[in-house]
Amino acid sequence: MARSRSRLWRRIFFAAAISLLLIAAAFGIWVVHLDHLVTREFQGRHWSVPAHVYAAPLELYVGAALSADDLEEELHRVHYHRGDPAQGPGNYRRVGNAFDIEARRVRFIDELREPVRVSIHADAAAITSMRLASGGDLPVFRLDPPVIGSVFPIHGEDRLVVAPADVPLLLKKGIKAIEDRRFDEHHGVDVLGMMRALWVDLRAGRVVQGGSTLTQQLVKNYFLSDEQTIGRKLTEAAMALRLEAHYSKEEILVAYLNEVFLGQDGTRAIHGFGLGSEYYFAKPLQELDVQETALLIGLVKGPSYYDPRKHPERALTRRNLVLKELAEARVIDDKTALRAAATPLGLRPPGGSYVPAYIDLVRRHLKRDYAEADLSAAGLSVYTSLDPRAQAAAERAITQDLQRLDARAAQKGSRLEGAQIIAEPNSGDVVAVVGGRDVGTDGFNRALDARRPIGSLVKPAVYLAAIETGRYTAATLIEDAPIQLKLPDGSIWAPQNFERDTNGMVPAARALAESLNLATVKIGLDVGLPKVAETLEHLGLDSQPTLNPSMLLGTVEMSPLEVVQIYTSLANGGFRARLRAVRAVLDDKGHALKSFKVQVEAAAPSAAVYQVDRMMMLVPTRGTAREAAARLPKGLIIAGKTGTSSDTRDSWFAGFTGSYLSVVWVGYDDNRVTGLTGAAGALPVWADTMASLKPVSYAPVTPDAVEDRWIGYLDGMETSASCPNAVEIAVPTGTVLPANPSCAPANGPAPNPSPSATAGDKIKQWLKNIIH
Amino acid sequence: MAEKHHSLIALLFISGAASLLSGCPSFSSRPEEPSSSVTSPPAPAPKPASPAQPPPTAPSERPLPPPRENRLSPATRSLVNQAHALLARGDIDGASTTLDRALRIEPSNPLLWIEIGRVRMVEGDSHQAESCARKALALGSGDHAAQNQAGHLLIDALRAQGRNPEAHEIESRPYMH
Repeated sequence: MARSRSRLWRRIFFAAAISLLLIAAAFGIWVVHLDHLVTREFQGRHWSVPAHVYAAPLELYVGAALSADDLEEELHRVHYHRGDPAQGPGNYRRVGNAFDIEARRVRFIDELREPVRVSIHADAAAITSMRLASGGDLPVFRLDPPVIGSVFPIHGEDRLVVAPADVPLLLKKGIKAIEDRRFDEHHGVDVLGMMRALWVDLRAGRVVQGGSTLTQQLVKNYFLSDEQTIGRKLTEAAMALRLEAHYSKEEILVAYLNEVFLGQDGTRAIHGFGLGSEYYFAKPLQELDVQETALLIGLVKGPSYYDPRKHPERALTRRNLVLKELAEARVIDDKTALRAAATPLGLRPPGGSYVPAYIDLVRRHLKRDYAEADLSAAGLSVYTSLDPRAQAAAERAITQDLQRLDARAAQKGSRLEGAQIIAEPNSGDVVAVVGGRDVGTDGFNRALDARRPIGSLVKPAVYLAAIETGRYTAATLIEDAPIQLKLPDGSIWAPQNFERDTNGMVPAARALAESLNLATVKIGLDVGLPKVAETLEHLGLDSQPTLNPSMLLGTVEMSPLEVVQIYTSLANGGFRARLRAVRAVLDDKGHALKSFKVQVEAAAPSAAVYQVDRMMMLVPTRGTAREAAARLPKGLIIAGKTGTSSDTRDSWFAGFTGSYLSVVWVGYDDNRVTGLTGAAGALPVWADTMASLKPVSYAPVTPDAVEDRWIGYLDGMETSASCPNAVEIAVPTGTVLPANPSCAPANGPAPNPSPSATAGDKIKQWLKNIIH
Repeated sequence: MAEKHHSLIALLFISGAASLLSGCPSFSSRPEEPSSSVTSPPAPAPKPASPAQPPPTAPSERPLPPPRENRLSPATRSLVNQAHALLARGDIDGASTTLDRALRIEPSNPLLWIEIGRVRMVEGDSHQAESCARKALALGSGDHAAQNQAGHLLIDALRAQGRNPEAHEIESRPYMH
């Protein structure tokens, strides 16, 4: 009896032991599995360092249009500190207009420059002298290229990963004090902390404290959903323990700081303190002050609940609580905490150094031009053409002008939208992209993706096609009279001028300047739609436009970027330049994976393009863009064209100075009528942008075989510069023009202006002025 | 291949240096005949539009535009010199990038486009070299010396593409003499 009993016990014992063993083995396998998962993920993230994206470095040289104050602003942009340059690279001294700069070690596309001391003088307008502090000549010197963001080129996520050395001590201490006081002691799980949290939760009857360590939070961010179950908690704890077994506290802390969720910007999640710092304060992490650091730390608890833009009161309360706790934990002293608590939130104004629309273009060019395998390497540097000053000018103009235009637009209470691109037309470098009014937000990129009818922006191509035939010049008289066309489908097309008027015989130059639809259609039909389409394609249009007569008035739809491509050919003598946002991508050793050289192609005959350019220079002096003058520096010569699509749904201006080409679009996202012509909507944005960029005048070189001549703006007859309504145009050398009998050209009979004609012209012009 | 490059580089370097040293060209004689444009022949006279026909002004009555002379600014010149040095060392990409910097300072200087075109030739990209030469010709209109250099580059680029008749035609242009 006793024997069988002890046998039974033995059996039970064995069964229990085997079960335990099995459980232990299963547990072991589970842990090994978790271990594998967590280390793989950590390594993956750890090594997935994003590519840093740089703006173009600012070139300094004697004569560069940079005042002493501008120079200081540019130094601050690349985080140089005013102080004693002897303290080391990154410091400068300014005495009056003289600068002593200790430049950092910096990698450019073509060289790794060691630290160097330079002396630069500037006056109120330009740089006046430059030399090396050692006494050597310094004809040209470039500042550090500003970092404008970082991309994971493959998956397109954008994050500003910070290296351990770049994390400020205050942030390290602060995040531990607020989120995980015993971080340096525990092994991934804080049992004491969990029990305390459990006690608090039990007393409160709900979850008040998570009790999760930073390590657990990191694991949760990597793998797990937000559900609060025992099983999930156990997995999380096990993974945290494994993570701590493999990596140092420092590595885990930095990974956490790069991973944690800090807010939502449209469709884009803001992960990591590096990006958070840029998103909320537009500065690098290292430059945050106490209250800014405290706000970001406070956001960890609930980025949407404490969203400082949506709920500033809550955010302020949370920030000040964090400051108080930091003082209690002796991370900061009481005085600092009190002083910091008295400051406002200090969020960045829209825009700043974060340029999502430009980065978007960079991302697309990278995808287009690079093999995916190349881009997966760690630590790439992407060098772009972005000019931060041009970008800032465009952002400022879009945000300010659209706010003003909302009141004038047709749909009261609706928000106008806008887009702008600035390029250097000779090289094709895209220097600025604004994708919408909320310039710091990564939303719909209208500069690249909003394809709209371009209206009269198409007209220069019609006149170019006409001049290329050799049958037209700027002085050729065209009949601006009603037109009725029977289309293939049987319908009648009867275009009208914007003013619904007709003007009789007008010189081509005036027809383009005042954007007369009837005269333009007349020319276009005479030249032929295929010829106009061909000209557009040569200029750089990718798609083939539908050969419909309404194409002559710009029914063809393009994005601002596509318009820029076409206008580069017009802005620089008929040479199409391939648009370039990315100049080069370097690997972590500084070797170029690939670089993009300037690429130009003859797109249209220089002589014909010059004649059209001369006509486009009349648009701002005599035509539809006269309102630009009030916003531009006095005497600045520009060329351009307004565009307005049917019923003013789209307002466009495309134009160029001697420095930049820029295209602006203004309209509603839902395509409703704006009531704004190109001159009323897009032109002010364009002009305000240019005005702040101090551009030089547009001064195209007169090609061989073409000469500048003066004609009457209203009658097209040759005249002299001093005669009324004289405008300068270009014609093929030797072109015979009828001379004005009453006010002859300088080399002909003496001028004898007819007073009646002058008065008539004046009245006509005055009428035009008040109509527009 | 490398040897060929080196002799080419040396040649270009010398011609580049010569162009830098030549400095101020003389403009004592300007061709009376307007040179025809590279890309388009002069258009015939348009149809007269007005019935009133006072004696039309002939082109010969107008003074010729003053000759132009393009120069590199000190900043661009130093970069061009740097590019020459890089080329001489065989660092073609370096030369290209350095000229790219110069282009940001003086994007419409024909002399710079000639330099870029020369580097493209060394790279073996005679199509881009041709485009650069044509652009330099257009930007250098009225500047005999610049057009002469651009013309030489264009001839080289056309020959490299086997387009000898076109190269021959360029040789007869006024700016080539």
